[in-house]
Amino acid sequence: MQTSTAARADRQEDVRGGASPGVDRAALAVRAVGLTRRYVHPWTLRVTRALEGLDLEVRRGEVIGLLGPNGAGKTTTLKLLTGLIKPTCGRAWLMGEPIEDIASRRSLGFLPEQPYFYDYLSGEEYLELAARLSGVPGREATRRARRWLGRVGLGERPKLGLRKYSKGMLQRLGLAAALVHEPELLILDEPMSGLDPFGRRDVRDLILEQRARGTTVLFSSHILPDVEMLCDRVAILLRGRLTRTASVDQIVSDGRQAVEIRCAAVGPLEIPPAWHGVLARDDRAGEMVLRLEEEHRLQDLLAWLVRAGVRVHAVTPQRPGLEELFLAAAEADRAAAERTLRRTA
Amino acid sequence: MTALLIGINTFREATRDRVLAGVVAAGVVLLALTQVASPLALGEGRRLTVDLGLSAVSVLGLLVVLLVGTSLVAREIERRTIYNLLSRPIARAGYLVGKWAGLSAALWVVALLLGVALLGLLELRGFTGHGAAVTEAVYLAGLELTVVTALAVLFSALSTPVLSALYTLAFYVVGQWSYDLRGFASRFPEPLSALLGTVANVVPNLPLFNMRALAAAGATTSWSHLGMATAYAAVYAGCVLALAAAAFEKRDFK
Repeated sequence: MQTSTAARADRQEDVRGGASPGVDRAALAVRAVGLTRRYVHPWTLRVTRALEGLDLEVRRGEVIGLLGPNGAGKTTTLKLLTGLIKPTCGRAWLMGEPIEDIASRRSLGFLPEQPYFYDYLSGEEYLELAARLSGVPGREATRRARRWLGRVGLGERPKLGLRKYSKGMLQRLGLAAALVHEPELLILDEPMSGLDPFGRRDVRDLILEQRARGTTVLFSSHILPDVEMLCDRVAILLRGRLTRTASVDQIVSDGRQAVEIRCAAVGPLEIPPAWHGVLARDDRAGEMVLRLEEEHRLQDLLAWLVRAGVRVHAVTPQRPGLEELFLAAAEADRAAAERTLRRTA
Repeated sequence: MTALLIGINTFREATRDRVLAGVVAAGVVLLALTQVASPLALGEGRRLTVDLGLSAVSVLGLLVVLLVGTSLVAREIERRTIYNLLSRPIARAGYLVGKWAGLSAALWVVALLLGVALLGLLELRGFTGHGAAVTEAVYLAGLELTVVTALAVLFSALSTPVLSALYTLAFYVVGQWSYDLRGFASRFPEPLSALLGTVANVVPNLPLFNMRALAAAGATTSWSHLGMATAYAAVYAGCVLALAAAAFEKRDFK
């Protein structure tokens, strides 16, 4: 039974022919309209909203990070897109094919969170099987299996049984299995999970390499510096809803930017009342560090410092990290939820 | 094509599992034990050897189905290895057919090995003239195991390994009595008669695959029986797999 969200999704699909206004359908690698997944407890009939009305468009060749705390709906989104769970309502397309059609998974490489494999196979046998199941013919599958095993640093012992693999090795193998058929779209659920710093660096390099060859990458992660480094855009999910989608630069530049001004040490310097609340002074050995919270007032501050005879050594913008912005968004969402709860009570 | 690949991999999984090797070893030991009991059979040593040898094929094959087959899909879901398969361009129905075909092939190998061992033993003991009967009986036992494997795949796709083992065993046991059930049905009033009749039709008609008594007597069966049993196994397994595929299509992997 379709709900009104699904009906809306279908109407939009009819009107737009599969894409937002101004967006070429062929240019989209992933498209979701009103994608929703709810679970109903069989005994209590209590409804849990894992994902609610997700509208998302990912252009071909784009790297997009899915952010959100545990239980926000990241894994649900990825499982819906890969066909592992069925949507309650709404629709989605991968490379222009509807997700309910197995053709949508022809150009897809997927790494699930904490992947598990057949432990009776060796690494090489597993990758060969993965390649063949994704349509790579026999000998080519064997060749690619060997190549990708080496590419993820597991090529020295191709016949080693998977039951002897460590957690990090399994994660690397999972990534190789997602890439062995050279997909156009890569969906990775927490790809850096369980990896040491070297493993994380290797995964980052692989994603960057895929971006360079034009592969679309959609991945979820808790490791925000990696997301900031790799992504063109991020989508923030909170309590099953997409709260924001924007480029990393845009999100960061939207944040309040502070400026740090390092000056030569001076004697007593009285800060005028006009700067109270936006300017903080920190005297360190041999220098004075001022922190200005409002970047647009920098010229005025510099003019005042010159007039006061202070020698300025350096002016450094203090760009807020994605982590701070994400935490602020999560906090705002929590506060909004609490307000709603109080109003309802 | 993907069903074939999954079938090959399932065959590899089953043959690398110690259960299968253990079952073949147990079968050979059982055949050897028949020779210990043979002098007690009052001249019926040949009959005892054939009967117990063929029973070993069925019972040990069933053991493999219960130990391996009933967790075939459920274990993949539990261990989440299924994520790596179904996120590829694989139809869920093809996945189930591949699983069934792979384990069935492994069971045919077990039946073949135990059948050859039985024929070798009969030859060693100088009991000649049983070749055709034993071959037919092993073929029918293989068909029976193919049907039971389809049931195991159905239950494994819908339930936990323990419950699917119980359901499969229940269908196997009731299926062995399907002729008797039909007989009972005619003696009971409605609606009990209809209920028993329905149960007899739903469970597999396993007596169709049992020619142990015939083979023990050295007699062969007719081509029409073999053809009927083959067609029945194909239709029954096909229906069960179609049902499994329909239910599995809607299943979520959380």
